[in-house]
Amino acid sequence: MFKINDYTKSREAFLRAEKVIPSGIYGHQGPAEGCFVPVEAFPFFSDRAKGSYFWDIDGNRFIDYMCAYGPNVLGYNDPDVDAAAAAQRAKGDCITAPNTKMIDFAELLVDTVKSADWAFFAKNGNDVTTMAVMTARAYTKRKKIIFFKGYYHGVSPWTQKIDYAGVIEEDVVNNIYLDWNDIDAVEEAFRKYKGQIAAVIAQPYMHNNFMDNSLPIKDFWAKVRKICTDNDTVLIIDDVRAGFRLDIAGSDHYFGFEADLICFCKALANGYNVSALCGKYFLKNTVSSLSYTGSYWLSAVPFAAGIACIEKMKRINCTQLLFEKGNALKNGLIETASKYGYDLHVSGVPSLFYLRIADDPTLMLHQEWIAECVKRGIYFTNHHNHFINASLSDANIAETIAVADEAFSVIKNRHS
Amino acid sequence: MTDAKTLSYINLYAILGAMTQLCELDPKAKEILGNKRITMEITVKKGPTARLAFENGSCKILRGAGKCNIRLPFSSPEKFNGMIDGTVTPIPSKGLTKIGFLLKTFVPLTDLLTKYLRPSDEDLKDEEFFRVSTLLTFYVVSEALSQIANNDSVGMSSASYIVDGKIKMSIGDIVGACIVAKDHVLNTVHEMPEDFTSYMIFKDIKLANDLFAGRVNSVASVGHGNIRIGGMISQVDNMNRILDRVSMYLA
Repeated sequence: MFKINDYTKSREAFLRAEKVIPSGIYGHQGPAEGCFVPVEAFPFFSDRAKGSYFWDIDGNRFIDYMCAYGPNVLGYNDPDVDAAAAAQRAKGDCITAPNTKMIDFAELLVDTVKSADWAFFAKNGNDVTTMAVMTARAYTKRKKIIFFKGYYHGVSPWTQKIDYAGVIEEDVVNNIYLDWNDIDAVEEAFRKYKGQIAAVIAQPYMHNNFMDNSLPIKDFWAKVRKICTDNDTVLIIDDVRAGFRLDIAGSDHYFGFEADLICFCKALANGYNVSALCGKYFLKNTVSSLSYTGSYWLSAVPFAAGIACIEKMKRINCTQLLFEKGNALKNGLIETASKYGYDLHVSGVPSLFYLRIADDPTLMLHQEWIAECVKRGIYFTNHHNHFINASLSDANIAETIAVADEAFSVIKNRHS
Repeated sequence: MTDAKTLSYINLYAILGAMTQLCELDPKAKEILGNKRITMEITVKKGPTARLAFENGSCKILRGAGKCNIRLPFSSPEKFNGMIDGTVTPIPSKGLTKIGFLLKTFVPLTDLLTKYLRPSDEDLKDEEFFRVSTLLTFYVVSEALSQIANNDSVGMSSASYIVDGKIKMSIGDIVGACIVAKDHVLNTVHEMPEDFTSYMIFKDIKLANDLFAGRVNSVASVGHGNIRIGGMISQVDNMNRILDRVSMYLA
């Protein structure tokens, strides 16, 4: 029997937070958008983290499969990354003139990412997806952008839908929404809006919420690539979430094509705040022409961290490692579920897996199981894909499967 | 940001539709109605048509045209909305002899309904008034939700992302509605569903009233466990975007 967590201090902190912060905790890490079902099963505030673990303010330890929603790729507080960051911090971080670490980092990305001829840095994924769209519009002198339904490209108004608070029709009037993997729909859109489509923006595969994640069908990317090339349309890959967890050379490389622009953030610097837009040479001058900058975008510490992170990911063959660990976990969870007669679906790639108990289409059974896991110290979510990090040990995986087993037994007893 | 046609559907099915509950919840409504047996049809050109059937102190709403004693035709959604606002006086095309019902029964009933739906702070201090006001508002909100989903262009966009199923919306075990989604069209059934694919449950009457009045934050309420959501949360998520528009229309 595993210990059931108590979250008294988290709840007390939430009461404090709510008084001075909208919603208490806003966004994807909050209880509403984070789908804490039921809310009592989840911790609200962390105290510290190391490797594959984080500890909440009540002292509960979690094996963390959300990895801060992606940034933790090598393990929290990775010694090599932290040492590089500390060394740079001792010299300076946010300074009037940028540090040459910026050049080092850009050179490393150009050498690492197959489709990259240059790199531009910002802070969040949204910064670079927005810049990618601006670049495409500036280059093509066109307005329309193709999206695939289920996408997430950030929080700027152009990425949201017309029914989102604060978004007006003009923000989204040039958005074309198509079904993922529907190449006929892509062709039809290009016929219908001939000469008007500035860009196709897409994640490398559909890792959306609330449903099984979906890989591209055969030749999908090759066909999209050809259509974009034939129509002088910019192909943007939003690799913010999947980047470096499929392929160190970029997820477009993993799927056998080359993007014109590719956006990175989460796994780029193991939690240090930096994002990057990389692209083809023919778009470099266009990027130069944009008015786009930020107070902290050229800070040197995240560049130093990013260099150390990428070098270490290469050194340890990180993507292969993540796939191996992800597969071990996946197989263990599916086998454990089947012991109790449950059909656990694990979709997406092993390093970025999505879980769903398929026996109940309402997801309520799945939410119960996830809650029982979290209460026992395995941090899963019921709506979002998960993330593997390189520090995840065999012992961590074994403990996860043991907790999952107990959680399955709890829900089985509850419903039998 | 809002349109007259959608508002006319809300005014007919949600606001006047709440008469059905008013007659059950407040004895004064029964008293006003007495034993009158009248069916009143409201027809809005390029808008909704429905009948309010009053009988033995109760009220039913029947969708579409049909047998009636009084018919109130409106040449546009704007004219009908004007009647609800009190700026347009309706002229019956049928039932001129029943004009007394309109003046002596229907108007007092709508006045009573307005008292509950636009309550004063003083009235809300009365516990029973607070309860009835909240339950009537719940009815209006849950019905307006479907009307917006099916008529308002932005609401239809939200509904286009709602997969088929049943969403339970309730105030604890006190009152509930089932929002049935089928092919991205929503229909509110004003009963607590036994089976549902997702749910949004308000803890109690007070929380529901605070939410409707904008006194508490819904996202923080999820954090406190005062609003419970679950099941196919994408349904609830998209429904909440329509609920944002309910407050715009009812403002």
